[in-house]
Amino acid sequence: MVEYKGKLDTIFGSLSDPTRRDIVKRLAHQELTVSEVAKPYARRMSLAAVSKHLQVLERSGVITKRRVGKQQIVALSPPALKDASKYLEQYKKLWEERLDRLEKFLKNK
Amino acid sequence: MEPIKEVALERTYEAPLESVWQAWTDPAKLKQWWGPDNVTIPTCEVDLKVGGKFYIVMEAGEAMGPYKGTLWPMQAEFTVVEPNAKLAYKANAWTEGAREDFSIDQTTEVVFAEEGGKTKVTVKASIYKLGPKAGMAAEGMQAGFTQQLEKLSAFLAK
Repeated sequence: MVEYKGKLDTIFGSLSDPTRRDIVKRLAHQELTVSEVAKPYARRMSLAAVSKHLQVLERSGVITKRRVGKQQIVALSPPALKDASKYLEQYKKLWEERLDRLEKFLKNK
Repeated sequence: MEPIKEVALERTYEAPLESVWQAWTDPAKLKQWWGPDNVTIPTCEVDLKVGGKFYIVMEAGEAMGPYKGTLWPMQAEFTVVEPNAKLAYKANAWTEGAREDFSIDQTTEVVFAEEGGKTKVTVKASIYKLGPKAGMAAEGMQAGFTQQLEKLSAFLAK
Protein backbone atom coordinates (compact mmCIF):
# COMPACT_ATOMS: atom_id res chain seq x y z
CA MET A 1 0.00 0.00 0.00
CA VAL A 2 1.10 3.53 -0.68
CA GLU A 3 2.42 5.22 2.43
CA TYR A 4 0.15 8.16 3.21
CA LYS A 5 0.13 8.02 6.96
CA GLY A 6 0.78 11.07 9.05
CA LYS A 7 1.00 13.60 6.24
CA LEU A 8 -0.88 16.73 7.12
CA ASP A 9 -2.35 17.37 3.71
CA THR A 10 -3.84 13.89 3.59
CA ILE A 11 -5.01 14.20 7.20
CA PHE A 12 -6.81 17.48 6.49
CA GLY A 13 -7.99 16.14 3.14
CA SER A 14 -9.51 13.11 4.82
CA LEU A 15 -11.30 15.42 7.27
CA SER A 16 -12.70 17.67 4.55
CA ASP A 17 -15.79 15.51 4.08
CA PRO A 18 -18.76 15.99 6.44
CA THR A 19 -19.51 12.25 6.78
CA ARG A 20 -15.91 11.53 7.64
CA ARG A 21 -15.84 14.35 10.16
CA ASP A 22 -18.98 12.92 11.70
CA ILE A 23 -17.40 9.48 11.93
CA VAL A 24 -14.35 10.97 13.67
CA LYS A 25 -16.59 12.84 16.11
CA ARG A 26 -18.42 9.65 17.02
CA LEU A 27 -15.17 7.74 17.41
CA ALA A 28 -13.93 10.38 19.84
CA HIS A 29 -16.26 8.88 22.44
CA GLN A 30 -15.66 5.19 21.82
CA GLU A 31 -14.37 2.55 19.46
CA LEU A 32 -16.98 1.16 17.10
CA THR A 33 -17.36 -1.83 14.83
CA VAL A 34 -17.64 -1.10 11.11
CA SER A 35 -21.35 -1.91 11.16
CA GLU A 36 -21.91 0.38 14.14
CA VAL A 37 -20.13 3.14 12.27
CA ALA A 38 -22.38 2.57 9.26
CA LYS A 39 -25.68 2.33 11.13
CA PRO A 40 -26.70 6.02 11.39
CA TYR A 41 -26.01 6.51 7.68
CA ALA A 42 -27.94 3.40 6.54
CA ARG A 43 -30.81 5.40 5.04
CA ARG A 44 -28.65 7.37 2.67
CA MET A 45 -25.48 5.40 2.22
CA SER A 46 -24.47 1.84 1.41
CA LEU A 47 -22.13 -0.10 3.65
CA ALA A 48 -19.64 -0.03 0.78
CA ALA A 49 -19.74 3.76 0.72
CA VAL A 50 -19.12 3.91 4.47
CA SER A 51 -16.25 1.44 4.09
CA LYS A 52 -14.75 3.73 1.49
CA HIS A 53 -14.89 6.68 3.89
CA LEU A 54 -13.23 4.53 6.54
CA GLN A 55 -10.54 3.57 4.07
CA VAL A 56 -9.75 7.24 3.38
CA LEU A 57 -9.50 7.92 7.11
CA GLU A 58 -7.32 4.86 7.63
CA ARG A 59 -4.95 5.85 4.83
CA SER A 60 -4.46 9.32 6.27
CA GLY A 61 -3.66 7.76 9.63
CA VAL A 62 -6.66 9.30 11.41
CA ILE A 63 -8.16 5.92 12.32
CA THR A 64 -6.95 2.39 12.73
CA LYS A 65 -8.87 -0.82 12.10
CA ARG A 66 -8.24 -4.09 13.82
CA ARG A 67 -9.95 -7.43 13.53
CA VAL A 68 -11.41 -9.06 16.62
CA GLY A 69 -12.98 -12.38 15.73
CA LYS A 70 -15.43 -11.69 12.94
CA GLN A 71 -15.65 -8.01 13.66
CA GLN A 72 -13.59 -5.07 12.57
CA ILE A 73 -13.07 -2.49 15.28
CA VAL A 74 -12.46 1.09 14.28
CA ALA A 75 -10.58 3.48 16.58
CA LEU A 76 -9.14 6.97 16.38
CA SER A 77 -5.40 7.31 16.12
CA PRO A 78 -4.36 10.25 18.32
CA PRO A 79 -0.96 11.08 16.75
CA ALA A 80 -2.43 12.10 13.39
CA LEU A 81 -5.04 14.28 15.04
CA LYS A 82 -2.42 15.78 17.30
CA ASP A 83 -0.24 16.69 14.33
CA ALA A 84 -3.21 18.30 12.63
CA SER A 85 -4.28 20.32 15.65
CA LYS A 86 -0.70 21.37 16.38
CA TYR A 87 -0.36 22.68 12.85
CA LEU A 88 -3.53 24.70 13.17
CA GLU A 89 -2.44 26.06 16.54
CA GLN A 90 0.76 27.28 14.93
CA TYR A 91 -1.11 28.78 12.01
CA LYS A 92 -3.45 30.60 14.33
CA LYS A 93 -0.58 31.73 16.52
CA LEU A 94 1.17 33.23 13.51
CA TRP A 95 -1.90 35.33 12.80
CA GLU A 96 -2.28 36.32 16.45
CA GLU A 97 1.34 37.48 16.64
CA ARG A 98 0.87 39.36 13.40
CA LEU A 99 -2.19 41.21 14.67
CA ASP A 100 -0.44 41.97 17.99
CA ARG A 101 2.43 43.44 16.04
CA LEU A 102 0.05 45.57 14.03
CA GLU A 103 -1.25 46.97 17.31
CA LYS A 104 2.28 47.90 18.42
CA PHE A 105 2.99 49.41 15.02
CA LEU A 106 -0.14 51.56 15.14
CA LYS A 107 0.70 52.73 18.67
CA ASN A 108 4.27 53.72 17.88
CA LYS A 109 3.49 55.83 14.88
CA MET B 1 -13.52 24.55 -3.52
CA GLU B 2 -13.97 24.08 0.22
CA PRO B 3 -11.06 25.05 2.47
CA ILE B 4 -9.62 22.25 4.59
CA LYS B 5 -9.43 24.62 7.53
CA GLU B 6 -10.33 28.16 8.50
CA VAL B 7 -8.99 30.44 11.18
CA ALA B 8 -10.91 33.57 12.14
CA LEU B 9 -9.62 36.39 14.32
CA GLU B 10 -10.91 39.78 15.32
CA ARG B 11 -9.11 42.77 16.84
CA THR B 12 -10.04 46.32 17.61
CA TYR B 13 -7.31 48.91 17.28
CA GLU B 14 -7.10 52.37 18.83
CA ALA B 15 -6.34 53.94 15.50
CA PRO B 16 -8.26 55.58 12.67
CA LEU B 17 -9.56 53.36 9.89
CA GLU B 18 -7.36 55.04 7.29
CA SER B 19 -4.15 54.32 9.28
CA VAL B 20 -5.05 50.66 9.67
CA TRP B 21 -5.82 50.37 5.96
CA GLN B 22 -2.46 52.04 5.19
CA ALA B 23 -0.65 49.64 7.52
CA TRP B 24 -2.11 46.71 5.55
CA THR B 25 -1.50 48.07 2.07
CA ASP B 26 1.66 50.22 2.10
CA PRO B 27 4.73 47.97 1.60
CA ALA B 28 6.98 50.22 3.71
CA LYS B 29 4.52 49.90 6.60
CA LEU B 30 3.81 46.19 6.07
CA LYS B 31 7.54 45.51 6.41
CA GLN B 32 7.46 46.97 9.90
CA TRP B 33 4.78 44.76 11.41
CA TRP B 34 3.96 41.77 9.19
CA GLY B 35 6.37 39.57 11.14
CA PRO B 36 5.39 37.35 12.98
CA ASP B 37 7.81 37.67 15.93
CA ASN B 38 11.45 36.77 15.27
CA VAL B 39 11.00 37.29 11.56
CA THR B 40 12.03 40.21 9.36
CA ILE B 41 10.63 41.24 6.00
CA PRO B 42 13.39 41.83 3.44
CA THR B 43 11.00 42.12 0.48
CA CYS B 44 7.46 43.39 0.12
CA GLU B 45 5.70 44.38 -3.11
CA VAL B 46 2.11 45.50 -3.36
CA ASP B 47 0.17 46.22 -6.53
CA LEU B 48 -3.05 47.31 -4.91
CA LYS B 49 -5.82 46.38 -7.34
CA VAL B 50 -7.94 43.33 -8.07
CA GLY B 51 -5.66 40.90 -9.93
CA GLY B 52 -2.60 42.83 -8.68
CA LYS B 53 0.30 41.01 -7.05
CA PHE B 54 1.16 40.94 -3.36
CA TYR B 55 4.61 39.48 -2.74
CA ILE B 56 6.12 39.34 0.70
CA VAL B 57 9.14 37.44 2.00
CA MET B 58 9.64 36.54 5.64
CA GLU B 59 13.16 35.83 6.87
CA ALA B 60 13.82 33.89 10.06
CA GLY B 61 15.79 35.95 12.56
CA GLU B 62 18.32 35.10 15.27
CA ALA B 63 15.78 33.70 17.73
CA MET B 64 14.70 31.03 15.23
CA GLY B 65 17.99 29.24 15.95
CA PRO B 66 18.72 26.61 13.30
CA TYR B 67 16.11 28.21 11.01
CA LYS B 68 17.90 31.57 11.02
CA GLY B 69 18.11 32.95 7.48
CA THR B 70 15.34 30.68 6.18
CA LEU B 71 13.16 32.51 3.68
CA TRP B 72 9.38 32.06 3.57
CA PRO B 73 8.01 33.86 0.51
CA MET B 74 4.34 34.36 -0.17
CA GLN B 75 3.09 35.08 -3.67
CA ALA B 76 -0.46 36.38 -3.67
CA GLU B 77 -3.01 37.97 -5.92
CA PHE B 78 -5.62 40.42 -4.66
CA THR B 79 -9.20 39.28 -5.20
CA VAL B 80 -10.91 42.14 -3.37
CA VAL B 81 -9.63 45.70 -2.90
CA GLU B 82 -12.21 48.02 -1.36
CA PRO B 83 -10.31 50.92 0.22
CA ASN B 84 -10.93 51.29 3.96
CA ALA B 85 -13.39 48.39 3.88
CA LYS B 86 -12.16 45.05 2.60
CA LEU B 87 -9.05 43.33 1.33
CA ALA B 88 -8.76 39.74 0.14
CA TYR B 89 -6.08 37.72 -1.59
CA LYS B 90 -5.31 34.17 -2.60
CA ALA B 91 -1.79 33.05 -1.95
CA ASN B 92 0.79 30.37 -2.16
CA ALA B 93 3.38 30.49 0.61
CA TRP B 94 6.40 28.23 0.81
CA THR B 95 9.82 27.59 2.29
CA GLU B 96 12.54 28.77 -0.09
CA GLY B 97 14.35 25.81 -1.65
CA ALA B 98 11.55 23.35 -0.90
CA ARG B 99 8.46 24.77 -2.54
CA GLU B 100 6.97 21.37 -3.45
CA ASP B 101 7.16 19.95 0.04
CA PHE B 102 6.36 22.94 2.20
CA SER B 103 3.86 24.98 0.29
CA ILE B 104 0.51 26.21 1.58
CA ASP B 105 -2.36 27.41 -0.59
CA GLN B 106 -4.47 29.84 1.33
CA THR B 107 -6.85 32.74 1.07
CA THR B 108 -7.06 35.67 3.45
CA GLU B 109 -9.93 38.05 3.85
CA VAL B 110 -9.56 41.20 5.94
CA VAL B 111 -12.55 43.37 6.81
CA PHE B 112 -12.02 46.86 8.22
CA ALA B 113 -14.75 48.71 10.10
CA GLU B 114 -14.86 51.94 12.04
CA GLU B 115 -16.34 51.68 15.50
CA GLY B 116 -16.49 54.85 17.56
CA GLY B 117 -13.12 56.17 16.44
CA LYS B 118 -11.52 52.75 16.75
CA THR B 119 -10.99 50.25 13.97
CA LYS B 120 -12.20 46.69 14.03
CA VAL B 121 -10.25 44.25 11.90
CA THR B 122 -11.61 40.81 11.13
CA VAL B 123 -9.29 38.30 9.51
CA LYS B 124 -10.42 35.04 7.97
CA ALA B 125 -7.55 32.84 6.83
CA SER B 126 -8.40 29.63 5.00
CA ILE B 127 -6.06 26.80 4.12
CA TYR B 128 -6.83 24.91 0.91
CA LYS B 129 -3.80 22.75 0.34
CA LEU B 130 -0.69 21.78 2.23
CA GLY B 131 2.55 20.33 0.93
CA PRO B 132 3.39 16.86 2.28
CA LYS B 133 6.02 18.17 4.71
CA ALA B 134 4.15 21.24 5.91
CA GLY B 135 3.77 19.54 9.27
CA MET B 136 7.51 19.64 9.77
CA ALA B 137 7.43 23.35 9.12
CA ALA B 138 4.95 23.57 11.97
CA GLU B 139 7.47 21.77 14.14
CA GLY B 140 10.02 24.36 13.08
CA MET B 141 7.75 27.18 14.14
CA GLN B 142 7.34 25.37 17.43
CA ALA B 143 11.12 25.26 17.81
CA GLY B 144 11.33 29.00 17.18
CA PHE B 145 8.61 29.60 19.69
CA THR B 146 10.24 27.47 22.39
CA GLN B 147 13.46 29.40 21.96
CA GLN B 148 11.60 32.61 22.22
CA LEU B 149 10.09 31.50 25.53
CA GLU B 150 13.52 30.48 26.76
CA LYS B 151 14.85 33.89 25.81
CA LEU B 152 12.02 35.51 27.68
CA SER B 153 12.55 33.49 30.83
CA ALA B 154 16.31 34.19 30.68
CA PHE B 155 15.53 37.87 30.42
CA LEU B 156 13.09 37.76 33.31
CA ALA B 157 15.63 35.92 35.47
CA LYS B 158 18.17 38.76 35.15
